[in-house]
Parts: sequence; structure tokens; C-alpha cells
Amino acid sequence: MTGRALVRGGLLLAVLAAVVVLPLWVNRTQPYYLQLSINVLIFATLALSWDILARTGQLSLAHAAFYGLGAYTSVLLTTRAGLPIVAGMAAGAVVAVVAAVLLGVLTLRLRGIYFAIATLAFSETLRVITNQVRFTGAATGLVAPPLLGGHRPSQYLVILTILLALTLVSWWVNRSRWHFAFTAIRANEEVAAVMGVDVVRFKVLAFAISALFAGITGAFYAHVFLFISPLEAYSLAVSVGALVAPIFGGLYTTAGPLVGAVVLRAGEEVLRSTVQRGYPIIYGFLLAAVILYMPGGLAGVWASLAARIPRPARRGARGEPAGS
Amino acid sequence: MSLLVLDTLTKSFGGLSAVDDLSLAVRAGEIFALIGPNGAGKSTTFNLISGLLAPDRGRIFFDGADITRTPPHSRAHLGVGRTFQLMQPFHAMTVRENVMVGELFGHTVLKSLPAARRDAEEICESVGLGHLLDRGVTALGLADLKRLEIARALATHPRLLLLDEVMAGLTPTEARQAVASIQGIRARGVTILLIDHVMSSVRDLAERVAVLNFGRKIAEGTFETVAHDPAVIEAYLGQDEADGSH
Repeated sequence: MTGRALVRGGLLLAVLAAVVVLPLWVNRTQPYYLQLSINVLIFATLALSWDILARTGQLSLAHAAFYGLGAYTSVLLTTRAGLPIVAGMAAGAVVAVVAAVLLGVLTLRLRGIYFAIATLAFSETLRVITNQVRFTGAATGLVAPPLLGGHRPSQYLVILTILLALTLVSWWVNRSRWHFAFTAIRANEEVAAVMGVDVVRFKVLAFAISALFAGITGAFYAHVFLFISPLEAYSLAVSVGALVAPIFGGLYTTAGPLVGAVVLRAGEEVLRSTVQRGYPIIYGFLLAAVILYMPGGLAGVWASLAARIPRPARRGARGEPAGS
Repeated sequence: MSLLVLDTLTKSFGGLSAVDDLSLAVRAGEIFALIGPNGAGKSTTFNLISGLLAPDRGRIFFDGADITRTPPHSRAHLGVGRTFQLMQPFHAMTVRENVMVGELFGHTVLKSLPAARRDAEEICESVGLGHLLDRGVTALGLADLKRLEIARALATHPRLLLLDEVMAGLTPTEARQAVASIQGIRARGVTILLIDHVMSSVRDLAERVAVLNFGRKIAEGTFETVAHDPAVIEAYLGQDEADGSH
């Protein structure tokens, strides 16, 4: 037992050291890879924060809304009100949370596809409004001041910190009483309520946490790429990407969305550089194959592999017949 | 002393009244049965009591307090527990985890995960699920699913337990076990309101019975008195369901 824990702890430290050091080291010769790493981490943050909401059974298509709100709030406050970027990013997160709580309360009674469509409508409405209003730069978009003077390695550490914080939150959620509330609500809201779970509270809380990280990531994106437009900040591709990675990697887990995001974005990059023309077709086929033939995603494959490795000295007798 | 009082409760769905002017008082510590033909409004009554539906008119009192507008999770905290006729286990959870939800959220005592886990295991043992703790719910048979419904409701530490057809589909042996199990729950001080079609079990369990037909209460009393009530016989015969003794 302690052996396994040691191995796991060692592995975790090694991964952590690698994600901190490698991109910074590579940056000295190949700055492009640091840029790519930042993209991957933005994608991973969106994927994992989307998954936290999904754990309550709310399959949202509004992740771009929170991302865009974070981006626009921060850029507007820093350029028009002269706020420091850190304050702008924090405000972006707050505005995203407020919007999420409102949307969460409005969509409480909606399930499944109706919920998804309502959240999509919310996101698209924000995009259309931003596209029309002159104060937000309309269709032209806005220029954003650079985070940390545009120093890429520092920016990388910022998004890495955000993702690590989110990872901790996700990990905690999945091993606390929240996990039981979320999973019960996802299975059957009425039964969960009758068993004492405050369904409204947990659904709205999940919305708030999810939007907090989407909002701050949107703000980060704005101050790293230095330009935002309605089409990009409120892009449907953001919402869809945020749900594809968890499905690909393994829903309702911490590792699944992270691994899914990294593999998808890195894989896309490898395909782009090797196959070049027509790579999205291969990408699409691979994605479809995984979703069709691996219902648990990559995490599901991992779990079934791990189950085949015999584990001696497992704690506690389970009393289950073998092979059941 | 009445633990649950329904005062002129009315609920209709699109002009069709499911529960019509229903008044009822369940005394603390008794086993009370709600019977009647299909569509008589029994399950709707349970949904009104547990808070999944709001009545159009009338009020609900629990332990003297008006809970008509209280949300379902707060009613659970006050001590209203229930099972579902169509078993609704939480998928992606084991038997133990299903019961833990009740231990964690079903009452106002804040329990740690290990404590909830231990208490859930104890409840599973008591209803005969002790050997299935780690089993996923999709692998359970009907009788075990019914036991799981009861275990989950018990995990919320109810003062009033609403049992919605926990006998339906059980073999005679299983039904006898269930009767004993329900008597055991009452012996621990839990008041029980049950819906059932298995009349032998109702006769064995219930001190008092109310008969519903088309949402209205047509009789109330001991099993013997209502069984001989002409209105009750009429209601069952009218439905071609005169098998009041299987």
C-alpha cells in the first residue's frame, strides 16, 4: 500500500516537474512549443472546468460565454478604466460567476438537450450583442494589454498555476461529500432531493466553479493573444472543444479531461505537421473512433488495463466472487 | 398525536383531479396503509407529501408544522423519507454509495465520509444487502432493488417513512421477509405510511387503512371494516379487480 502510494507520489512529482521545466527549457531554442503549451493548458482548463459542471448532469454549451465574458470584462476594465491586469482578470472571473449563477437559476428545470440548447442560446446571444455594441469594439474587436509585459515563460507559469488550482479543486470535489451530491443529482434529481440533497444549491455551485475557471482563462487568453473579437471569444468551437476533451479522455474524472485535452491538442499538432493537407479529416475519424469504441474514454481504457494487473495485498476483503 | 396531517389536499393535472379534497391524519408510531385501484391518486399523494409536487389547494402538516411550501430536501431533513415504486437507484454508484447519499445529506447531522460509510454499511446489513455492498446497482435483482430503496430511505433517518409498493413483484417468501422488516422498522419508532396492492401484507401490517378512488377518500378504518365497506367493494368490483385477498 505504501509502495503504491510512493510510486504514485513520485510519478506525480515527476510529471509536475516536467510540465514546469520542459516548456521553459524548450523555449530557449523553439519558442513555438511554449506557445503551443500555453494553448494546450488553456484547452485543458476549459475541459476540466466544463467537466465539473457536467458531473451534476448539466451538459452545457455555454462554456464560451464564460470564457468570452472573462476576456471582455478584463480587457474593457484594463483599457477603458485603467485597472491593472490582475484586477481585470479577477473581475473577469467574478462577472463569469455572476452570469453563471443567473444562467444556472434560469435553467434549473431544464434537462438534457433542452438545457444544452438554452445554454447555447445564452452564449450566442452574448456573441451577437458584443458584435453590435460599439463600447465592446463591435465586430472589429478590442486590443488587449499584454500580461506580464508579454513575457511568455511567465505567462506559461500563470496558466499552469490556474490549471493546477483547478486540478486540486476537481480532485477534492471527487473525493468529498460533493461527489455524492453531484453523482446523485446526475442520476436522478428528484430522488436526490427526496434523500436530502439540496439540488439547487449544488447545481448552481457547480455552475459557479465551472464559470470561475472559464472566466479567468478567457481573461488570460485575451492578455496573452492581445486581441479579442466576438467571433473568437464567444466561439462555439470553445464550447464544443470543452466538452469533446472530457468525453475523449473520460467524463467525470480529474485525469480524463486533462489527458483528453493534451492528447487532442498535441495530436492535432502532430497531424498538422506530418499529414498537413487534409489533417482535420483524419483527426475527425480518430475522434469518432475513440468516442464510438471506448465509451469510458481514455480513462476507461486505463481503468480496464489497471484492473487486469493483479494487485497483491489489496486492503480489506471485498467479498465479491472473482470475475463477477 | 398526529405526525402527518393532510388537510383538504387537492391536485389536478390538466383538469383531471388526481387527488381530490383529501384529508388524512397519520398518528405517530402507527402503520397506515393507503390502498385503492390503479390511478386512484396514491402515488400523487406520496409526491405531495415528499414535496415533489405542490398541491393546488390544501395544506400538509408534519409534526405540527406547515410544510406545504417546504422544498423536498428540507422535508427529508425534518424526517420525511420515502421509496419509489419504480426503483430509482443512482447509477454509477455501488450499493454502499447509494445508501451513503442518505447518510450524508438526509438529515441535519454533518457526517464525515468514513462515518457515513460505516452507518450505510450497517443499514445495508440490516435489510439484507450486506453481501452486495460493492456491487453496482445494474447487477441487482428486483428484491434487492426493493431492499436498496428501503435502505436508502432509512439512511435519511426518517420519522415518517413512505413505502410505495415495496411488496409488488416479490415472491411470497420475500414478501414475508419484507413484512417482518417493516415491522422491525416500526419497532424502532418510525411511523409508516404505505401504498400496496398485496392485500395480505396490508392486512398483516396496517393498523388503519384509507381507501382512495378517483382521488377521493371513500373509506377509512381497520382493514376488516374497509374490506366490508360497500363503497370499497364497489370501487374494486367496478374496476374488475375484486381480488382483495391474494
